[in-house]
Amino acid sequence: MKKSRAIMWGLLAACGIGQAVWDKAKVQPTYVARIMPKSRGYVSGLSSEQFLLALSGFREMVAGILWVKGDGYFETGNYDAILPIIRLVTWLDPSQIDVYGTGMWHIAYNFTDEQSRSDRRYIPSAIALGEEGAKNNPDTYEMFFETGWLWYHKVDDDYGQAVKNWELAATKPDHIPARKNLLSNAYQRNGEIDKALGHYEQLLKEARGRVVVGDDYSTRTSQDTIENNLDTMLVRMSQRGWFGSKQTGAPAIPYDTQPPFDVNFSVRISVVEPKVVKFEGSWGVRPVGTRIRVILRDSDFPNAVPGGMKWRQDGAVNLDPPKDLTFMQDQLYVKNLRFDRTCDMGRDPTMYPFKSANYAAEFYYNPRSAPPHIQDKFSWNGEGFTDKNFLNNEVRPGQRVLFHSIPLTRDMILRRGEWSMGGGKVPVLQTKNYVDKATKGTEDFIEIPSLRSQASQPAK
Amino acid sequence: MKVITAIAATTIGEAIRRRVLLVILLIGVLLLSIAPGLQALSARQERTVLKSFIFGTMQLTAVMIAVILTVYILPNEIERRTIYTILCKPVRRWQLLVGKYLGAIGALGLMIALMTGLSILLYWKFQEGAPASDLVGIAQVALMYFVQTCLLAAVAISLSTFLPPLVNIFVSLGLYLVGTLFTSVFESISGQAGTHPLVKGFASLVGSVLPNFSRFNVQNLEINTQQIGNTGLYYMNSAVYGIVYVVGVLIVGMLIFENREV
Repeated sequence: MKKSRAIMWGLLAACGIGQAVWDKAKVQPTYVARIMPKSRGYVSGLSSEQFLLALSGFREMVAGILWVKGDGYFETGNYDAILPIIRLVTWLDPSQIDVYGTGMWHIAYNFTDEQSRSDRRYIPSAIALGEEGAKNNPDTYEMFFETGWLWYHKVDDDYGQAVKNWELAATKPDHIPARKNLLSNAYQRNGEIDKALGHYEQLLKEARGRVVVGDDYSTRTSQDTIENNLDTMLVRMSQRGWFGSKQTGAPAIPYDTQPPFDVNFSVRISVVEPKVVKFEGSWGVRPVGTRIRVILRDSDFPNAVPGGMKWRQDGAVNLDPPKDLTFMQDQLYVKNLRFDRTCDMGRDPTMYPFKSANYAAEFYYNPRSAPPHIQDKFSWNGEGFTDKNFLNNEVRPGQRVLFHSIPLTRDMILRRGEWSMGGGKVPVLQTKNYVDKATKGTEDFIEIPSLRSQASQPAK
Repeated sequence: MKVITAIAATTIGEAIRRRVLLVILLIGVLLLSIAPGLQALSARQERTVLKSFIFGTMQLTAVMIAVILTVYILPNEIERRTIYTILCKPVRRWQLLVGKYLGAIGALGLMIALMTGLSILLYWKFQEGAPASDLVGIAQVALMYFVQTCLLAAVAISLSTFLPPLVNIFVSLGLYLVGTLFTSVFESISGQAGTHPLVKGFASLVGSVLPNFSRFNVQNLEINTQQIGNTGLYYMNSAVYGIVYVVGVLIVGMLIFENREV
């Protein structure tokens, strides 16, 4: 009897230790990382019935029904109400890729002011949501692709992040061939031209393989598209002197991109009314397609970097960004060698609270973001681009960009004190080279560059 | 072994005849039957909602059956004094416990199999064009629920050796809730940098000792058709964990039952 009890105690000890060790070694890692990852609790938004249902094994059902509710809010334009639903659904069911994808798009694109400018304070949260989605769903390309797209299209800067995400997406077996092209574009915008070419060649190889397996309209079209992209890429590499510089070893050879073209940027800022700021100025590139980034932000805006902000922050999805900070970002479209845009920030006090005492108006142009017909002169990294006053090699190391910052005060923007509307001075700040001349009405035309076109305004 | 099999077979028969269990099963089956109707409430999420409802109902029903079935098995024998007629035969107490347990999980298995069959039928009928892998997925999840409820049944039957049924229901369900919802909390605490080592050690100990029912909640994989590398391997590892834990819990029950005055 004693012996059998001893055996039972021994077995009990073995089972106790065995289950703990087995769980830690074989079950827990997969469970925690892949099946139900840890996420923060957002139970406060659930009704008691929903919470009870979620607890009793109906998590995904509650998530699905909540998302349908969120969809209804989209229809009615009640955008603020969607935010907590996004968080709740992704907490209840971290595998809801649609919710992550739609949620990050919503956060990044839908919160706009009266002039359709996005609230950039939300972008880090959108990126964090995308990264969380990718972390929780590492076996599909989707969230890596969506996050990469946000970097590529919305942030439109720091293309290395788009490359990083799309490279990860490319490793997933479910990646759609038609979307793989974008990685080449991201490589180009990130200045990795050889990688872009290599990727197109790889895609062409894959496309030809698909044609061999099933020669139909779809596979043929896919192959033709990639061939066309590859051809265009090769022409551009030749035209922009890429191959030439490789052969000669020189950083650049006198080709379409040489000598660098001086864009002769100038700007004047006038605060025409409280919180209504007019930006006008010159840009020496006649073909349409230039968009100069303008930012008006608190001078001490946290995580600000010249021409943007640190878009990838602490990784936390904060759906309630600081309401007392101002960060306005817009694009100045150039037409007839000039730009002229009035930004009215007076109708969106929550987006532009103007609580700080000092502000910075920043102007930023990166040739990497330029459309191809302009890059045909500037090249991918701005080798054919210059500005005698504002060319900057420091704000984006290794890149030739335009950057200029002009300080403003709160009184200027709000038209108070010496700048008051009732007889005070009009705040006007401008670059030294600004020349007030109207060229509006001049017929606009598009200059189509050729392989041997000459720079119309060489650098001095 | 013969003794255990005989007790198990009798227990299955008794369980199937118990009205309260049949009522729970009936409620579960009725809930499953209305599941397709929920699709109307959930445009674009039909499949998610349908699957989730099926799994949720199946799990809830199985948990209730497992607890109600097992908490009464031994106390009823003691209360009706039928235990004396069993123990006066060449039947050891541990054999009685194991036989009762096996009978209980046999009955549980039959009921889960019934619900699974009905769920597969409903899903196949109302999700036209659903791939066969979806149907296999439902069966796999049901199998994991079976292992989960076997673990719960082992906990409840072991507790029934010294707890009255009503108290046992609350304790077992409480342990189930803790083991489903809070194990990740213990894991977070034990893995958190900056937490006092004593707190970490305590959290790690509690997390290791408590039955981790959440390991068998694999419905998310099937609802969202996720791939986690080798899904089969994960299921197998979880099942091994469950079986080892069941053996351990039953031994505790045996040790207590051996010393109990009946």
